Amino acid sequence: MSRAKPPSGEPCILGTEEAQESVYRVQNEVSLLRASLAGETAAWGEIVARYKDAVFGLCLGFLRSPADAEDITHDAFIRAYDNLRRYNLEKRFSTWLFTIAANLCRNRLRYRRNHPVSDPDVESPGGIDPAAAVAREERQVRVRDGLTQLPYGYRAPLVLRYYNDLSYREISEVLAIPEGTVKTRIHRAKAILKDLIGPVGVIDHETG
Amino acid sequence: MRQDELERAVRSALCSEVESASTRLAGLEERVVADLGDRAPRLGALEWLRQLLAPSPGARWAQIAVLGATAAVFLTLGLWIAEDRSSDGDLAAMPRLAAAPAPTDDESVLFVLPALNAKSVSVVGSFSDWEAVPLQDEDGDGIWTARLPLPPGRYEYAFVIDGRWWGQDPLADGYIRSFGEYSSVRYVGGGGDGV
Repeated sequence: MSRAKPPSGEPCILGTEEAQESVYRVQNEVSLLRASLAGETAAWGEIVARYKDAVFGLCLGFLRSPADAEDITHDAFIRAYDNLRRYNLEKRFSTWLFTIAANLCRNRLRYRRNHPVSDPDVESPGGIDPAAAVAREERQVRVRDGLTQLPYGYRAPLVLRYYNDLSYREISEVLAIPEGTVKTRIHRAKAILKDLIGPVGVIDHETG
Repeated sequence: MRQDELERAVRSALCSEVESASTRLAGLEERVVADLGDRAPRLGALEWLRQLLAPSPGARWAQIAVLGATAAVFLTLGLWIAEDRSSDGDLAAMPRLAAAPAPTDDESVLFVLPALNAKSVSVVGSFSDWEAVPLQDEDGDGIWTARLPLPPGRYEYAFVIDGRWWGQDPLADGYIRSFGEYSSVRYVGGGGDGV
C-alpha cells in the first residue's frame, strides 16, 4: 500500500463507513472549533473523527503499545477540548493537538519507567494476519521492531516527520526542542534504524 | 538501503500499524463526547477573572431590582413634590411615567442583520457567554433583529447565520480577529465610542 502524502491530520485510513449524516460533517475546521468553544460537544466529536487516526498514529509511534496509544489518544482529545481557549490561531490546530498528545505520551513513558512492575509488557503492535506474512509484511515487522528499539528521543521526531508529515519547525514546536536538533535527530534516527533493521536489505518500492 | 526507501518503509510500517489497530478507534468520537458530558471548554484566565468580577446572573438581577426600586421611589417622590408645588400643573401624563418600567443601568442594544434567505439567525457574544441568542424576523422581510438589555461595557460578538459564523456586523464599533475569524466589538454605555 503506498501512502499518498496526506495533509497533516488527515488519516491514512479513510473511515468513510464512519461518516455521519451530520451538519458538522461539512463545516470547516474553524467553525467546528468555534462551535466546540461554545460548548457544542458534537462539533468536537467531528474534530475527533477527523484527527483520531493522526493522533493515534503519533501515540502508537511514540509509545509502541496500542492499548497505551488508545488511552492517550482519548485523553488528548479531552485535554484539548478543556484547553481549547488556549489554542493560538497562529499555530496550526493539528500542531497544537499533536503537542498535547506528545506531552501526554512523554508522561506515560515516564510513568512506565517509574512503574516497571505494573507496566504491561509493550505489546508487539499488530495483529497481522499470519497468512499475509509475505516478504513485505516481514520487512514491515522488522521496521516496526526497529522503531520499538529506537530510543524515544529519536523515534518521536521520526514519527512526526514520516507519519504526521510535520515540518522540522513544527516538530521542534511539538517536542519543544530546537529545529537544528530535530534535523540531527532525524538524520541519526534513520542511521540507527538502518542498523537495527539489518541487512535484510532492499525495501522495494511498494505498490498499492 | 536508500534513504527515501527507509523513509517510505517507516511511513508504511506506521500506517499499517495504525490500520491493524484501527478497531480501537471505532467509536472514539462518541466515547470522547460522552465523557465530556455537557461541559464547555475551560475559561481562560482573563475570562475567569472577568466572570469573577462581574456579578452572577442572579446577583445582576438583584442589582437591577434594587436600582429599579430606588429609581421608582425617587420618581414617585419627585412627582409627589412636583404635584405638590404646581397648583395647576397638567400632570395627567406624569403618573404613567411613574408607572413605566424602572430604568436600570442596562442599555437596550439593538442587533440588526439583513439576511434575506436565512432560516435562522442568532447572535453569540461575550454578553451571553457565547451562547446563541436568536434574532427574529417576524415580518419575513429578511431583516433580523434582537434587542438585548446590556450593562455598560465592551462586548465581542458575532452573528450565526444558518450555522455559519458572521463576525463583521456593519453596525459594530470595531472588529477583532481572533481564533481565525472576525468578531465584532460594540461598546455599550459609557465605555467609550469608537475603537
